[in-house]
Amino acid sequence: MTKYVVVSNKVGNPGDEFVPPEGVNVAALLAGGFISTKKTPKPDKTKQDETEQ
Amino acid sequence: MATSVFLSNLTTLTVNAVSLLDQATSVTFTNTAEQLEKTAFGSTSRVYTAGLFANECTMTLYNSYAASETYQTLAALVGTQTTVVAGVTDGAVTKTFTLTNCYLETLPVVNGSLGELSTVDLTFSGGVYSVA
Repeated sequence: MTKYVVVSNKVGNPGDEFVPPEGVNVAALLAGGFISTKKTPKPDKTKQDETEQ
Repeated sequence: MATSVFLSNLTTLTVNAVSLLDQATSVTFTNTAEQLEKTAFGSTSRVYTAGLFANECTMTLYNSYAASETYQTLAALVGTQTTVVAGVTDGAVTKTFTLTNCYLETLPVVNGSLGELSTVDLTFSGGVYSVA
């Protein structure tokens, strides 16, 4: 599931996670720059992945 | 006779989760149940029953094209559904009125007159009404 971060103080505290209330148009908030998509760090490679390469 | 004076103590106004309280000059939330006539032969008066709910929220906002303000909040909402929340405080009582999945049909993008601050009148139609 995509997570969002507050950018504008009109939506909440900047930096906090934004959980869209029911019925809220997330695309419009992203287009207006009120929130942004939270980037999740890539998982570390496992030993098995390394041996596969 | 008991009287109550109420001075429109709007404490919260969000459109699509964006606070526009500092731009609003008027808000009207209307909870409407369409009336369906069920008068039958033999009746001496017309009688009605509730049909579908046709709720509405109208508001007037100062127009602003600045970041995070009126235009930026509303531009991408035209022709879509959104949620409007209005919170009112009257003494110790706070009521929060919500219209979920209401539709914004029209956004006046330019509305100016000489010597006046620009405002926009909005109507959010339909949606599910709730109060908490």
